[in-house]
Amino acid sequence: MIELKDINKIYQVNKYNKVVALKGINLSIKEGSVVVLKGASGSGKSTILSLIAALGKPTSGEVVVDSVHISKLTDNFASAFRSKNIGIVFQKYNLISSLSVKENIILPLIPSNPDALELEKKLQKVLEMFEIVDKKEILVKNLSGGQQQRVAIARAYIDNPKIIIADEPTANLDEKLSLRFIEILRGLKQENKTIIVATHDPLFFGLDFVDEEIEIKDGHLV
Amino acid sequence: MKKMINFYLLEYAIGSLVRQKSKNIFITIILSLLTFLLTAVFFITSSIRYELNQTVDALPEIIVAQTKGGKHYDIDVSKADSILSITGINSAIPRVWGYYYFKNAGVNFSLVGVGEFEDDYKEILENGLLIGRGVRDVLKKSYFKEYFNFILSDGSLLKLDIKGEFDADTELESNDMILMSKDNLRKIFDIDETKATDIVVSVANPDEVQTVASKIQLLFPNTRIITKNDLKISYQNIFDYKGGVFLALFIISLFTFFIIIYDKASGLTSEQTREIGILKAVGFTIEDILKEKFYEGIIISLFAYIIGVILAFTFVYIFNAPLLQNIFTGYSELKTSFTLPFILDIQTLVIVFFLSVPIYISATIIPSWRVATMDAEEVMR
Repeated sequence: MIELKDINKIYQVNKYNKVVALKGINLSIKEGSVVVLKGASGSGKSTILSLIAALGKPTSGEVVVDSVHISKLTDNFASAFRSKNIGIVFQKYNLISSLSVKENIILPLIPSNPDALELEKKLQKVLEMFEIVDKKEILVKNLSGGQQQRVAIARAYIDNPKIIIADEPTANLDEKLSLRFIEILRGLKQENKTIIVATHDPLFFGLDFVDEEIEIKDGHLV
Repeated sequence: MKKMINFYLLEYAIGSLVRQKSKNIFITIILSLLTFLLTAVFFITSSIRYELNQTVDALPEIIVAQTKGGKHYDIDVSKADSILSITGINSAIPRVWGYYYFKNAGVNFSLVGVGEFEDDYKEILENGLLIGRGVRDVLKKSYFKEYFNFILSDGSLLKLDIKGEFDADTELESNDMILMSKDNLRKIFDIDETKATDIVVSVANPDEVQTVASKIQLLFPNTRIITKNDLKISYQNIFDYKGGVFLALFIISLFTFFIIIYDKASGLTSEQTREIGILKAVGFTIEDILKEKFYEGIIISLFAYIIGVILAFTFVYIFNAPLLQNIFTGYSELKTSFTLPFILDIQTLVIVFFLSVPIYISATIIPSWRVATMDAEEVMR
C-alpha cells in the first residue's frame, strides 16, 4: 500500500522564486494495482512519482509505502529502499549512453554485490522478457528509442521490485511502440506488481487492466 | 556474508575510466611526470646527502692552518709536536697539498701529498701519480695518457708517471684529485721540508673537539683552527643553497599538481552529475557512489605513483640523473660525474605517496560527494 498524506511540495528555484508543485495531496494506491496519473505537463505528476520513489522529499506531509515512512528516510536508507522495492522508468529513460545494454540493466544489482551466476540469471531473464537478448553488448546510444525504452524497463524490472514507476514512458515513442509498452505493463500487472504511470498519452486512458486513473491539475488532485 | 570488495563496482569504475580514456590518460601522464620529478629530486637529495655525510665523516676532526694577518701560509711541521703535547690528542699529522692550475684546460687539480697511508702507496707514488677520473679525462684531452709534466716554480718541468686512478665509487671526493708523494708535491709548490700546508689533528674523545681546538688556538694564536663541525656547516650551507634550486622545482611540481587537483575538485560536468543522479535513482547509496569514485581515483593515482617512482628510480640510479645531478654537483670544467649511491629512502616514497595519491583521490571524491548528497531528483533535474 502506498499512501500520500497531506503532501505539499515547493521547489525553491532561487532566492526569490519558488514553484508550488503539489498542494495538499492525499492519495492511496493498493498493492498490485495499476494507476495512471494523468494531467498536462507541469501539473505535478512527475513530482508525485519522485516522492513515491523516494527520489525527493515533500516540503510537508508524509509518504508511506508498506508502512515505511519513506519521506523520513535518510538518503542512504532511501537508496536502499529504492533498490529493494522500486523500479523506475524515466521519461527520457535516463540510461547511461556510453554503457552497453547489459551494463545499464545490471546497475541496480551492483550495490548488493550479487553472486555472478545469480546476476547472469537475472540478466538473461530480463533480456529475454523484453526481447533484447541480441542487443546485450551494444552501447545504448546506438539503439532506437523503442529499444532504449525496453532497456530502461529491463533495468527497472531486473531486481524484481514490488513497485514499478513510469514517467511519461511513451513520450518519445510512436503509437506502435507505445502499444507494445502497454502490453508489457499488462504482463507486469499479472505478476502482481504495483504500477504507477504518469502520462498525458490518451493511449493509457480507459485501459482494461488499469485500476484507477487519477487526474492532476496545478498540483491538485481533480 | 557480504564480500569485502564489490568487483562489480570496481569493474564499473574501470569502465568509467575507459569511457573517458583520453582525459584519464592525459591526467595519468601528468601525474606520473610530477611524481617522477618529485621522487627524482628526493632520491638525488637523499643520495647526495648520504654521500656528503660520508665525506664529512671522513674529514679530520681539527685542521690547523697558519695565518698571517688572516692570510694562509705554510705551517711549521714542528708545531705538530707541540700540538701532540696537549692532553686528549691522538695524532697531529702535517699535510702537504694544494691546488694546481692546469692552463691548457683551465681547471684546478687538487694535489695531495700522501701522509697517513704513505706506506700503502709508496711503490706507486715514488715517482708517480694516482689520479681521479675527472683528471684522467682532462689530461687525455691534452694527450697526457701515461705521464704528466708539472711546471715548477723555477719554470722547469717535473715529469711524473700516471700509475693508476681512483675507484669510481670515490669519485665525489677524488674526481679532481692527484695523489703523489709529499716530496714531489713539495717540489711542485716549493714547500720547504720544515713546512706543511696544514696539520690535521685527531682527538680521542669527539666531545672534546671544541676544548682541544680552543687549547690549540691558545697555544698558537696566529693559526686558524677548523673543526669538522665547521666544515660540516660549510658543506651543509652549500648543499642547502643548491637544495633551494630543487625546492623551486619541487614547488613548481606541487603547483602544477594542485592546479590539476583544483580543476578536478572544482566540479563535475553535467554528464557526470547526471550519471550520479541515475546511479542514485537505481539504488546506489552515497557510500556506493563514493566507493566507485574512490576506485577511479586510486586506480589513476596509484598507477601514476608507481610509474613515477619507477621512472625516478631508473633516471636516478640507472642513468645517474643526467641534468638534475649537475644542479648539485656544479657545472665546473672538472665536474664530478660520480655514481649516485642507492639509498632505499622509504621516507621519500611515503612523502611522495601522501603528496599525490590521497590528494588526487580526495579531488575525485569531493565533487562527487557534493552531488551524491543531494536528492536524486534534484541532481537529475
